[in-house]
Amino acid sequence: MNTASPYLLEGHKITKRFGGLTAVHQVDLAIRPGEIVGLIGPNGSGKTTLFNCLSRLLPIDEGKVIFKGKDITRRKPFQVARMGMSRTFQVIRVYRKMTVLENMLISRQWRGEGLLQMLRPSHPDTERRAHELLDFLMLGHLKHELAGRLSGGQRRLLEIGMALMPDPDLLLLDEATSGVNPTLIETIKDRIRALNREQGKAFLLVEHNIEFIADMCERVYVLNFGELLAEGDPQSIMNNEAVIEAYFGA
Amino acid sequence: MGFLRRVWRLISANGGIYSWLTLIAILALYPLLTPSGAALLTATQLFMLITVSSNWNLIGGMTGYVDFGHAVFFGIGAYLMGILVTVVPDYILFSPQLGFWQALPLAGLGAMVFALLIGVPTLRLKGPYFSIAMLGTFVAMREIIRLLKPFTGGGEGLDLPPVLNRTRDYYFMLIFMGVVVALMWWIRRSEFGHSLLAIREDEVGAEMRGIDTTRHKIIAFMIAAFFTGVAGAFWAFQNTYIDPDVVFIEQRTVEMVMSSMLGGLGTVWGPPLGAFILYMLQDLVWANFYNLHLFILGVLLIFIVLFVPEGIIGTLGDRSSTSLGRLLSRGFNRGERTMEERA
Amino acid sequence: MELLLQALFNGILLGGYYAVMVLGFSIIWGVMGVINLAHGEFLMIGAYGAWVLFRVFGIDPFLSLAIIMPVMFGVGYVLQRVLINRVVERPHLISLLVTFGLSIALANLFNVIFTADPRTVPVSYNGSFNILGMTVPIVKTMILGLALLIMFALHVFLQRTRLGRSIRAAAQNKNAARIVGVEVGRVYAITFGIAIALTAAAGAMISPVAPIFPFMGPPFTLKAFTITALGGLGRIPGALLGGMVLGLVETLLATFVPGVGTNVGIAASFVLLVLVLILRPQGLLQGLRPMEVE
Repeated sequence: MNTASPYLLEGHKITKRFGGLTAVHQVDLAIRPGEIVGLIGPNGSGKTTLFNCLSRLLPIDEGKVIFKGKDITRRKPFQVARMGMSRTFQVIRVYRKMTVLENMLISRQWRGEGLLQMLRPSHPDTERRAHELLDFLMLGHLKHELAGRLSGGQRRLLEIGMALMPDPDLLLLDEATSGVNPTLIETIKDRIRALNREQGKAFLLVEHNIEFIADMCERVYVLNFGELLAEGDPQSIMNNEAVIEAYFGA
Repeated sequence: MGFLRRVWRLISANGGIYSWLTLIAILALYPLLTPSGAALLTATQLFMLITVSSNWNLIGGMTGYVDFGHAVFFGIGAYLMGILVTVVPDYILFSPQLGFWQALPLAGLGAMVFALLIGVPTLRLKGPYFSIAMLGTFVAMREIIRLLKPFTGGGEGLDLPPVLNRTRDYYFMLIFMGVVVALMWWIRRSEFGHSLLAIREDEVGAEMRGIDTTRHKIIAFMIAAFFTGVAGAFWAFQNTYIDPDVVFIEQRTVEMVMSSMLGGLGTVWGPPLGAFILYMLQDLVWANFYNLHLFILGVLLIFIVLFVPEGIIGTLGDRSSTSLGRLLSRGFNRGERTMEERA
Repeated sequence: MELLLQALFNGILLGGYYAVMVLGFSIIWGVMGVINLAHGEFLMIGAYGAWVLFRVFGIDPFLSLAIIMPVMFGVGYVLQRVLINRVVERPHLISLLVTFGLSIALANLFNVIFTADPRTVPVSYNGSFNILGMTVPIVKTMILGLALLIMFALHVFLQRTRLGRSIRAAAQNKNAARIVGVEVGRVYAITFGIAIALTAAAGAMISPVAPIFPFMGPPFTLKAFTITALGGLGRIPGALLGGMVLGLVETLLATFVPGVGTNVGIAASFVLLVLVLILRPQGLLQGLRPMEVE
């Protein structure tokens, strides 16, 4: 494979159909290491579907996905996660009946799956990392609370924490700000920036919140009816006629 | 030393060393207190139920894949034991007495291999296919055993060399149960156990977080099959006679499901507690309405699933969703708490 | 050659029966998403119903359908309202455990009432005649005819009646169905009633040619699942196809493999099921999607 590619993640002509409906059609997309990229579009434009295709949750009908120079189109979700691509979900998927700390320990760096290895309790490094990340995300005081008792915004943060546990190079965040109060949104923004600057992590953000995207991203992709409508820096996207049409037009 | 200290901490975090020592002492001395063979047999059978229920709970409770045919591994273990000590020529097995010890692990391994064969096609799929396939496996295996007459004796069954020793049986099953429950307790605290719980709660989420769910499910299933197979093999030897109708009875699976549900699905101490209560209950029911007891079990299962789905430990545990449950559980259930206590 | 033709003919007879036997199971799963592990037990109840009506009142098992089906519809309707409704829309785990408990309870209740002795319904016309060198068993041929009639009637009911359309709507999208005014709870209860009536009818139909005993159920549940895996969920043509495949495989095995005896069907359907799960899980999953418009 082409390991000299300047991109961390590439999607080539991704197409996904559900029965007769084409949810995503021939979408190209690429993310460089250390980049924060936004993905926006009106409701039903196929953002989450594209997200699911990239993270391998859904099989792709046509096209391919390349991550770190390797074709991952046929790999399973857990393999992709172990390669260093983590994600969060639009509908939050934390383990409600487990504590915050236990949630963090479930998502962890992969250290082999020999039976004896698996039968060990969690590695001290894993626990240390969980504690550090919880403090970093300002959830440290809630470690032993059941995840089901957290507020929506705290759950979003926890999900980001879980996504960070394996120390990924790329994070796909699906609607990281929906249902989150403004103070916590500032926290999330701040943490994303810190992760990006200090650890060089790349982000792909799917958002409704245009302000958030404009604030955070270097580049933005716009989807409409499953097709790529525009791509560019936030400023030019905001002024793009076609985008305005798609969002506000009849 | 560090290891010993950790074991000590674990024990003291789970009820204190003295209560454990007392329990172990009572169980170890029981044969001396009650020389009656019948009482020992009853206790041995209770230990066996605890053992197989704990194994059922590994796949059905911790992983969330309900196995309606788990007794099939019991049966495979029983038949492998029967075949090994009767059909296989003497020069492979030392003697009836020693052959028994050789056959036990082999029977477990056989059950484990069978679990792999069934698990690969059915556990690859998410959802209910596994449960129904296992129900089918159980129903089918009884007939397949009948068809394999040259090895299994068909419907006439097999007679095993009678080596009666109730005290030996008691101690064997006691130790075996101890090993199995300790293993379950260990698994519940391991990364493997956490992954299984994650699969039960949200399989897609677990997969997206880097857990190879299929592999985890199959390994859990194989462990559960191994120990159930050994238990079945032991039972065959103890019973000295097997045929499809005494080995493959639905009641075994029902009891495993019931013990786990009653005690608390997915908890370490649920199946032992549930099995114990079930035994007491059955004594009562058997004595008064012998014929109706399975009917009552079935109805009871429905009631538990609908009204106390978390079982006794789940309802009284400190993670219970009811405040009454949390109130009742104070100081009772510290063992199930967080992973903190290991640190 | 003649042996083969006879086996094929018997396989088709059996397959037709299987197709009608599976309908209740398939409808409950397709419409409500509940896998009824007590399927075989309802079939057993139907068979005992036919036996009681035959022994006590001398009613022919085929005619007894006129009594058994309405009664069992009522039983199913009430059962859905008081029990199954609590598990609809909850995880499969719950509905599996509840119907498993139901199957154990029913089988053992009937064991207490009727004992484990196998019963038979010896109808006077249980013989056979020969056409072109082939043996045609009378009762089994009647069963096939009745099975086709029931399937046709069910098809018309689902396609042409208002209630049938409501059931299909609830199967496809219960929320959308609610919005357009379908009373989903009632539709579920009626569907469950119909399914139980069909299953009990299948039990009554087979009573003249099969032994009736309390634990006859589980093999039928297994076969129902195999047929559903083969033919898909909630589709009548699929049930027919899956039933025929299983019937033919079973009959051919019993005819040409020496010494396998009568219980080969259970082993055969188990092997078939595992094969389907290995070879075509994607096909299976597609087949097991909610009921679709036929």
